[in-house]
Order: sequence, then structure tokens, then C-alpha cells
Amino acid sequence: MKPVIQCLDSKCHHCIKCLQACPMDAISIVNQKVNIDENKCIHCDVCIKECPSRVLKVKNVHLRETLHLHEYNVVLIPTSLLSDFKSYEEFQKTCQTIKDLGFDEVVQYSDIEGYLYKKAIEESQKNDGIWLTSFCPTINLLIEKKYPTLYDRLLPYDYPVEIAAKKIRERLKNKDISIYSLCECVGKMSLAKEPFGNTESAIDYAISISHVFPKINKLNSDKKYPIDINKYGVKSNVADLFGNRSLSVITIEGLNQSKNILDLIEFDRIQHLDLISMYACYQGCIGGYFLWNNPFEGCYNIEGMVNDCTCETISLKEEEYHLDRKLNTSDMKTMKERMVWFQKVNEILDMLPQYDCGACGFANCRSLAQNIVEEQASIDSCRVIKR
Amino acid sequence: MIKTYDVIKDNYDDAGYASRDIKLTLKMFGIDPKVLKRISIACYEAEINLVIHSNGGIITFELDDDGITHLSFDDTGPGIPNIEMALTPGYSTASTKAREFGFGAGMGLDNMKTCATTFNIKSSSEGTHLKMSFQ
Repeated sequence: MKPVIQCLDSKCHHCIKCLQACPMDAISIVNQKVNIDENKCIHCDVCIKECPSRVLKVKNVHLRETLHLHEYNVVLIPTSLLSDFKSYEEFQKTCQTIKDLGFDEVVQYSDIEGYLYKKAIEESQKNDGIWLTSFCPTINLLIEKKYPTLYDRLLPYDYPVEIAAKKIRERLKNKDISIYSLCECVGKMSLAKEPFGNTESAIDYAISISHVFPKINKLNSDKKYPIDINKYGVKSNVADLFGNRSLSVITIEGLNQSKNILDLIEFDRIQHLDLISMYACYQGCIGGYFLWNNPFEGCYNIEGMVNDCTCETISLKEEEYHLDRKLNTSDMKTMKERMVWFQKVNEILDMLPQYDCGACGFANCRSLAQNIVEEQASIDSCRVIKR
Repeated sequence: MIKTYDVIKDNYDDAGYASRDIKLTLKMFGIDPKVLKRISIACYEAEINLVIHSNGGIITFELDDDGITHLSFDDTGPGIPNIEMALTPGYSTASTKAREFGFGAGMGLDNMKTCATTFNIKSSSEGTHLKMSFQ
């Protein structure tokens, strides 16, 4: 996969805010160039928000280059988009405007989200132990990379947007179609085939909402697109609304809070809970980086519209949503190799000042030590020792 | 590598710090998740036991050259009067204060014994010495 977050080097001031902010220590600055390690990156938006020069960007697909490539273009709109509107009518008009951008069909997938939301609660109460939900790609990556002991506690469900794309392909299998996904966050962008090369996806292109927003603003249709949203799908997108059904289901917002709870689950300290749903963004998906409304206001907007959401809940077959997750352990070295490597890293770490200042261009002293062992950096990079 | 941590009696604010650090170190080493799970649970249980029941003590963490984790917990008293009883699931002598924090369900020692590969406990009025290893 290609790197999701990229740095436009020209205006970068080489401050070290991004590498200090990164929760995964994925960023390093070597020879005045920002590198983001795709193997470590979890596609959260922390570095983008932190950058004072605004040079960290997510690549987008340009509609004028891709729309003419296929006969029939379908766009999937995220349920959280609803939070940006004061009324349901306004939302329907915007859906018409999105269609007018050059698409043939606008499809929502809140009914699938709604089904999985109910299914998740049901299944977690039926089966023993704590389960974690899997709607947030960032949280899933966090668990895979930082909490591998909990990987088998993730509910084995595919992403709703992915299921929706597969269903569309099934329905229109005789046509030459392409499927676009309008995204509210960086994590969701990374799910599609383009622009980042996720070849297994059923979605062809990902575009961010803020990328098409100027065009939407210009076109501004008066017609209403007949679109219906499912109430439970909405609930699964808003953290405030998710948990209040039962005491054994809780929601956690934000990366740091999620990490705290995952730590406690690893110690087996959380009991009497069935399901924990986590979101990397505050207030859930409506806090996505590409949405322009404040998530707290968004939550207020959505509460006013819940009664307008009348789409019926559908029912899915197990093979449609089930996903087998396997922890990738192929690149794990043998115990002996790891031991030698770990000892070398620790020896070098003992020589370093361990202030974790970041001046060398690595997130902390341990990262620098690891890079020295892998011969990617030298101990001269440490400015504290040099002085 | 060897690391030691001091544990202070009744310090609930920092309870769990040593376990968190040990867990983080083992993750950086790249240990098998299944083993890590057992270590995390046992280590946390034992650390909390030190905070609740003992007069304070020291945790020693060692990762040997074969990749085996050794944990020892040495406190300075008051000792466990009846170890056999303490190993029974559900038996607890935790104070009400500890129970208010959600600790002290009486599953601790039994749980640790299940998690560890080797489990060794000695106790006298001078202190309790618990050694566990994980493979």
C-alpha cells in the first residue's frame, strides 16, 4: 500500500511537531525530509492537525480524470454526513447535488451499519467475554499493531462501506461500473483501491468530503434526492447515541481514551461488559476530519433528525458480512534473532540521553536506537551527545 | 535484561505502573501475543496484591537470553498466614477500601498460578516471595 499521509516538502519547516504528536512513532525526519512509515501508521489525523505549516495532506482522486472511465458511476455517502445539516430536506438536496457532480446513483449504507450495530450488541451478549467493535479502521489498526493480544476479541465483521460496495457490484453485475466512496475521515480513505492501492477492496475510488465541498457549494440543487437513512445506522455513527441502550455496552471516544481502555482489558481489569465500541474521533464518526461541522453541534443536529430516518433495517447473510481476521506474523523473526536485536537496541539506548527530545529527527531515543541498529542512522544524529 | 520497580503500600494512584512498563517492554521486544496476555494478567494481579496487602516491596523483571520472562515479587511483610487458603478461588482478605476500587475479588493467586508456567510462593511474617516464569 502507498503512504496515505504525504508531506509536500516545499513548505515544511522541519519543526518536529508531527513526530512528537504521532501516537505510533511512525514519523521520522531524515535529511530534512519527512518520512511516514506505512507499516506503523494507523491513518489517524493527529499529525495533519498538528502541522503548523499545513504540509501534511491526504491524496485525493480527481473526478474529472476518473468519471469518464466507466459507464455507470455509483457514490456511497457516509451516514455521518447527516450531522452537517440542520434539516433532513437540506441533506436530501445535497445528495442530489452530489449526484449532479457526475454520478449516476447515490447510495447510503446506514441500513447495513444498523444491522451490524444490532448484531454486534446481540452477539456480544450471547458470547462470553468482552468484544470490541470494528467500524473504525484506525482503531482496528491500533489494535493490530499495538494490542495484538486483543486481536481475536475484535468482532469478525467487515466494514459496512465494503459490504455496501459488494452488494452494488452484485446488483449491477452486467454493467461497467465504478464505485466511489465519499469519506469523512482519513482511515476510511485508506480502505479503497485508489488512491492508495488497497487492491482487495470492492471500492474503486475514495474522495474526501472536503475535496468535493467547493463544487457542492457551487452547484447547490433545489431538487431532493429520494434517500432514506436508517435510525440504527445513525446511532452507530454517533458515540453519544451508541451506548445508551444497555449498561453492558459502552463507547469510548478518542485515541488516548481507547488506548487506556485497551491497556486495562489486557490486564483483564474490565469485567461485566459485553461490548466496547471505540472511535478514534471525538463524538464518533461525526468527528471525522473531513466534515466541516463541529461534532458537538453535529450531534445536536442529528438528534433533531433521528425521527426523519425511516429506512427499514435489512437483514444480511453471514457470508456477506463475516470477515476472517488473521494477525500477520509472517515477518516475525525467531526468538534468538529478536533477542540479539533487542539487546543491541538496549545497549545503544543506554548510551543515549533518553530525553526523547526528538531533535535527531526520530520520535524518541528508542526509535533512534532501533534505527542505529538497522544502520539507518548514526549515533552522531543525537544533538545532545554532540554538544 | 533486568528491571526493578518499587511498589509502595496503599498507593492506588500508581498501582499498575510497573505492569504497564513491563508490558510495553515486552511488546517492543516482540513477544508472542498469547504469552504476553498471560504475563500481563499475572503481573498486574501480583502488583495490585503488593499494593493492597503488603507493606510494600520490589518487583524484578528479567528477560533471559532464551526469551523466557521471569517475574519476582518480594515484599517486607506481613506475610500470608495460610497460602493454601489464599490459593482458593474466591477467598479474599482485601479491605473495604480496596474493594471500593474494584479490587479484591479473591481470584488473584489462583489466576496467577493458571497464567504462569512455573509458580513458586514462599511466605513468612518477614515477607512474601513470589516467583513466576512464562514461556
